[in-house]
Order: sequence, then C-alpha cells, then structure tokens
Amino acid sequence: MLFNTPIFFVFFVVFLLIYGLLLVQKRPRLYFILVASFVFYGAWNYKFIPLLVGSSIIDYYLALAIAAASDQRRKKLLVTASVAVNLGILGLFKYADFVLESVADFLLVFGMEASVPTLSWVLPVGISFYTFQSLSYTIDVYRGDMEPRRGLVHFTTALAFFPQLVAGPILRARQILPQFHTLPVPTWTGARHGMLLVTSGLIKKTIADLLAIPAAVLFEADGPVSLIEAWTGTLAFAGQIYGDFAGYTDMAIGIALMIGFKIPPNFNLPYFAVSPVDFWRRWHISLSTWLRDYLYISLGGKHQRVRNVMITMLLGGLWHGAAWTFVAWGFFHGLIIVATHYFGSLRTFSGFANSTSRSVALLKWALTFYLVLIGWVLFRAHSIDDAWNIFLNLHTFAALPEQGAVAGRVFIATVVAVLWMHLQDWFVIRKGEAFENRKWLFWPVLIFFQGLCLMTGEPSSEFIYFQF
Amino acid sequence: MSSSTSSSDAKAQRRIFARIFLTVSLGMGIALALVQGLVMALGAGSSSLLGRVIEARDAIPQIVDEPQELVMMFGSSMTGAGFSPREFDLAVAERGGSVKSFNFGFGGLNPLFQDYLARRIREDFEASDRRLKLVMIEFNPFQTTVSRRNLQRPLEESYVALLASPAELADFTLDDPESGLRMSLIRYLRDGISAEMITTFLWGEPFRAPRSDDGVDFERDEAAEERLREVLRVLGEKFSEEYPDFDGSDWYYPWQGGGTVKTERSAETLELFEEYYDLITSDYRMAVDRLDRVESADIEELHFDAELVAAFVRVVENFKAISDNVEIIMLPKNTDWIKNPPEALARQAEAIRQIEAETALPVRDFQVIEPVSNDMFSDTTHLNRYQGAVAFTEFLVERYAELLTQPAPN
Repeated sequence: MLFNTPIFFVFFVVFLLIYGLLLVQKRPRLYFILVASFVFYGAWNYKFIPLLVGSSIIDYYLALAIAAASDQRRKKLLVTASVAVNLGILGLFKYADFVLESVADFLLVFGMEASVPTLSWVLPVGISFYTFQSLSYTIDVYRGDMEPRRGLVHFTTALAFFPQLVAGPILRARQILPQFHTLPVPTWTGARHGMLLVTSGLIKKTIADLLAIPAAVLFEADGPVSLIEAWTGTLAFAGQIYGDFAGYTDMAIGIALMIGFKIPPNFNLPYFAVSPVDFWRRWHISLSTWLRDYLYISLGGKHQRVRNVMITMLLGGLWHGAAWTFVAWGFFHGLIIVATHYFGSLRTFSGFANSTSRSVALLKWALTFYLVLIGWVLFRAHSIDDAWNIFLNLHTFAALPEQGAVAGRVFIATVVAVLWMHLQDWFVIRKGEAFENRKWLFWPVLIFFQGLCLMTGEPSSEFIYFQF
Repeated sequence: MSSSTSSSDAKAQRRIFARIFLTVSLGMGIALALVQGLVMALGAGSSSLLGRVIEARDAIPQIVDEPQELVMMFGSSMTGAGFSPREFDLAVAERGGSVKSFNFGFGGLNPLFQDYLARRIREDFEASDRRLKLVMIEFNPFQTTVSRRNLQRPLEESYVALLASPAELADFTLDDPESGLRMSLIRYLRDGISAEMITTFLWGEPFRAPRSDDGVDFERDEAAEERLREVLRVLGEKFSEEYPDFDGSDWYYPWQGGGTVKTERSAETLELFEEYYDLITSDYRMAVDRLDRVESADIEELHFDAELVAAFVRVVENFKAISDNVEIIMLPKNTDWIKNPPEALARQAEAIRQIEAETALPVRDFQVIEPVSNDMFSDTTHLNRYQGAVAFTEFLVERYAELLTQPAPN
C-alpha cells in the first residue's frame, strides 16, 4: 500500500473518519492507530506482523530491565542482548543469503566448490527501519539519554506508526514515543502544512517514476550506450532515488502532521551539498545521524577517525542492501569523506576549503555532485563489473545515439526534473508558510499538482527504499 | 492518561478534523475532475480508445434478435479488413442459405483483451438462449508475441477495466485490492483513461523516437506521397457523396461491422481505388510498414507470449459454448514482405500444436491460398477492401457454404 495509490487514499480517508470520531478519547485513539498500522503493514504481508510485535515486546522489556538494573555490567549485558536480537533478526532476514553466497564465492576463488544452501526468505518490508528505531530506544535508555516509558501499547504503536513504518524516517524513541503518550490533536496550520508536504512528495515520487525510464536505459542496457545516455541515465537515477525517497518521506511527514504527529525532516537539499560531509548532513538525515550517534561515536568518533568513518560508511552501505555494490558504495563514500577531512586539514587546501567565494562554492558543489553521481553508479549497478563499465562509459566519448534529438531532449528533461525537485523543496522549506497563508493561490496550486500527478503514471512504479 | 477534554475543546478539535477530512476528500475529488476535464478536452475516453469494440459489444442484443442463422468472424484488424459480412451473406444466399454474418475484427487488441470481449459475447448469447451457426476465430501469430504484449502494456489495465464485468472487477479487487481499485477507478471515474496511458501517449510524445526508415532500402517518393494525399482527399469526398446516411460509427450495424462493398461504389471511385492501392503499396511504404511490424509485433521471428496463447485458448472455449461450429483460422499472409525463418515457423507450429491440443480443434492455415495473391494487400498484413477482402470472403463462402446451407437439425 504505497502512499501514492488509490488504495492508500481509501485507507486514509477511512482512517481519518474513524480517527476523527475518536478524537476526544485518547486510549481508543491509540489502539486505533495500532490496528490501522497493522492493517497498513498487513496489506503487504500480515505474516510479518508478529515479528514487528516481537521486536517491540523484547525491546520494551529490555529497556525497562536496563533502567532497573543496578550495576553497569548487567545494563551492558541487557543492551548487548537488545543489539544482538535486533541485528540478529535483521541479519537473518536480510543478510543470511548474502553471507552464505559470499562464502561460497570466496571458496571458489581457492578452487573449492561449495554447495551452500540459501534461505531465500522474503524480506519483511521496513525491517531495516523499525529495527534501528527500536534499537535506538534501548541504547538511549542504556546511555541514560532517556527514561524508559511505561506502556507496551504506546511503544508498539510508536514503532508500528504507519506513516513511517515501511520507509522511515528512522525516528528516535525520544522523538516519537512521548507523542504517543500525549496523543496530540492536529491543528489546522499543521494539517495544511501536511497537505503541502504530501503534495510535494507526490510530485517528487511521480517525477522519480518517470526518471526510472532513462535510468533503466543505462543500467539495464544489454550493449554499449552513448556518452549522453550514460550521463542521462546516471543523473536520472540520482533524481529517481532522491524523488523516490525524499518524496515518500515528505508524504510520511505530511500524513503524520495531518493527524497531529511531528516527524523531523529527513532531507535538506542534498544535491546542493558542497562536500561529501555536507552531503551526508543533508541526505537521509535520520540514518546518517543514527549511524553517527550509535555507531561512529560508539567506535570512538574522531579518535581514529579514518577507521571509524570507514566502518560506519561500510555498514551504512550494507544497511541499504545485501550486495557487494552497496558495500562498495559505502566504501566509496567513506573514502571521499576521509579524503575531504584529509585535504581540509592540509594548509595548501585550507584556503579552498574555508573559502566563502561563490565561484569556489560552485566548484565545490560541482565536485561533490560529480562524486555523488559516481557513487550512485555503484549503488544502482547490478555488479561491480557493471559499475566499472558504466564508469568507463561516463568518461569515454562514444558516438551519439541513433535518435540524437530525442536523447538530447531526454537529457534536458532529466536535468530539469532533478533541478525542479530541489527548487520545489527549497520553496517548501523557505516559502512554504507564506504560500500556505495565500489561500487563493495555495489550494488551486495544490489541486492542480495533484491532478497532474493523477495524470502521470508508469506501470512499473515501485518504491526503491522498500528493499532496505 | 487523562481521557477528559473540555467540551468546547472537543468541539473545536472536531471542527478542525472535519475540515481536514473534507479538504482531503474534496481536494482529491476536484483533482480527479480536473483529470477528467483534460481527458475530455483531448477527446480521449473509452469511446476513442475502444470505440469499435464497445459499439460491437453494444450491438449484441440486436444481433441475437436477428431471425437468420448467425455467423461471426472474430479476430484482429486483419479480420476487420479482410472479411466482408454483407458479401458473405449474399454469396451464401446464392447457394441457398440464409445467414447474417458479423465482422468482429478489432485492431489493437490481443488475446488477453479478446478473452474478456468473448466472455461478454458469450454472456449475452447465453442470456438470450441464442447460438451462432458458425464462428471463425482468427489466430493471428504476431498478435500473440511478447513484443506485441509489451507494446500494449500501458493499455492493459484500461482495456481489461473496460471489458471486464462488474463481477470480474470485484474479483480482481478481492484478489489484489490495489490493482482492482485502480481498475475500478479507471472504469468508473476515468472513462478508461489511465495515468499510464496519459503519460505514454501525451507526456511521452516528445521523448518517443520518430518512426524510423533506417534499414529501408527504398527511396521515399515525395510526388507519389503528394498524389496519395490528393487521392485520399477525393476518396473522402466520394465517400460522403455515396454514403450520405453513414453515421460515423466505428462498428456500423447496417454494414454488420464490415466495410463498404464494391457494388455500392461508382466506377469513378473504384478507378480511384485502383490508384490508391498502387500508391499505398509502394516499395518504400511496404518496407517501412514491415519494419514497424517487426519492431512492434515481432512479425517475422515470432516469439510467443505464453499468457497470450493461453488467453487465445480461452477465447475459443468461450465461443465453443455458444456456437454450433467453431473454426480457428489463420488469415492470408503477404509472403512478399513477411518472411519467417525456420525457427519462427517452428515456434508457430508449437503454438498451433498447443492450441489444437487444448481446444481439441484444428487450426486451419489459410495463410497461403490460391484466390488471394500478394497484390491484394493494402500493407504488409491487411487485405485491401475491393480485392483482398472480396477474394478471401468468397474463399470462406466456398469453404463453409455446405455447412451453412444444411438445414438445422431438429
């Protein structure tokens, strides 16, 4: 049940109707959110609901036990149990086959052919998001950053909350759990902003689906592609993944706001970043801050920065999917972050790094965007070999495609689409409030764009981040 | 947890919520109306999409009321162009039979869609307790290929939504709520026009490669093209003069779903048609058309889509339930332009074997028959009206006259 489908619209309208009737009754409202979230999740595969409930029960009681434990050793043991259970579940469902196949491939290098059985289990939708979210609770309680909250239903509802259940953002317990205890009611201003975000997300998701077509021309090509097609495809994928993920997140935040809940933003104009470090401050903020707070800092942070950055980014890459291309993508980003720190520390480059001039900023942006694009090639390619071939394609002049004019139009449309999404986000962030107050303009524009999205579709529309 | 809220607060909260609910519902309603407005402004809709099919389907209640024995030819646009019902009936009458035949040939369908149409035909015949004396079902190999299916994917949901019955739509919704709901929206709120179709055929237009004549060894003759445009203009005028009562239907009941007949046209018009056929079958035009068929329907290599072959079997099964005689036939092929390599013929033979095994009926291969020659085509696949269709219809009469002139068993 994707947010941009008619079935979700029906679900949400029914949800709003019942939720509105329960508005003044807190406990029934809480139970209703839980049931609705299970219905939403069950629309994909109801068999995984017990897994979600199991995760929440374990972490809820472990958090209480951690808080109640008198000695540090016991606290550590309990939080380790939480980490082991959560990562164990994630590992079993998401990485077991990858590890087994990699072992078999590794043995093959030494001439040992091993027939390794694989599990071929279905990956529960959203597991990477909710396990990290659940884990943040026990770790925060262990660190003393938050007090455990009484109420298993509250905790489970917060974890299963349908707007953010399947594709994040990865909320910290301290951000979301208190809201399920107070159960805020929506305000008209908040709801109106929510509607703006939903429409903005819908536009981005629609654009992302269209960009999937030129992206596939490159990444699914059987033979060689021209230089313009290679750049169009890479740029299109950059736009696709951004529109897909940021669009979906916007819709999640907007939907939550419409029923009174506040979810922090997950993106902040990432393709306007002027360094790889800056990029990760703007891209999938909830994941990068999670990795920073719970992994990078746990590893020691700035002490042994190179090692810690590389481990964090490698695992961050692996979080995105069980394949060597994701590991390579994480490694690549680790490398460019380390390089940024290194060059920034050199006296020769400090002038460049600290410069506030516009031309230098433009140069830094161009370099960063180029590196991000190269990273996306690793991310999207079917194998490291494919990624390398595409990399060569991007840097080798090949003859123009047969339909040069069409290829040119597609390239221009792709550039416009990527730029449009960022300008739209910039507008929502900077001018959204003023825009919302101009009712005569706000509602017609919203309806116009919703209509436009209803007129645009692609049969193979799928949400990329579900695989994570 | 406190569950008490002051009554004025509660009222205010309810008001806000009612506003949110109404805004969401009304907003989507207006957005959908906007879409519908644009679709109407573009002249799109179920009638422009499946006009001929819908008109033919709507004519079934009238067909089942006809007093004569009923004959139907069901198939693709090749059937549409290649079978002349009124000439068929006349020729059967000359042999002592009395039948009323109908042309149910439709361009742009594949067996998946034909299956739904066949179900609707079956339902109407069964409801009126009427049977067909004979149905000739065209098996069109290139309508059953993977390429053809892929080409029509953006249309698939719309066509099925329009051709499925309400009960079938309900079944889809129970089976896959997301897809079922989308199809119901397409049918009941979007008049058959899906978002995918708008994207493909409207937004997608500037990004579609123009029809290419690369690989065509013949030169385009601009003077001949100019003359063709002129001939077409005059033929249009002649049509208006000679058929003042024609109402513009895609499937015209007085013509029984077929086209015009030679005897109704003036000598001058028929002379113009001779020139028209020459002009539209220039080597250049035929080569471009062949290339288009190769790319869009894999007409030479013939890689069959298993689902489409299975759907074709279902089409036959539907007609078996309402027809005394069911014939599966393959229409004449323009062998000057369409040449299938041995591997393709082997694949075709395999598909035919499957159809014959599953329907327990033979597939009659009329692809190469003496009365129809390669100069009777209007392009690489369709027979022309006054030569090809006439010859093939006569061939069918010869073939099935005995069957159709037999008295009905008591």
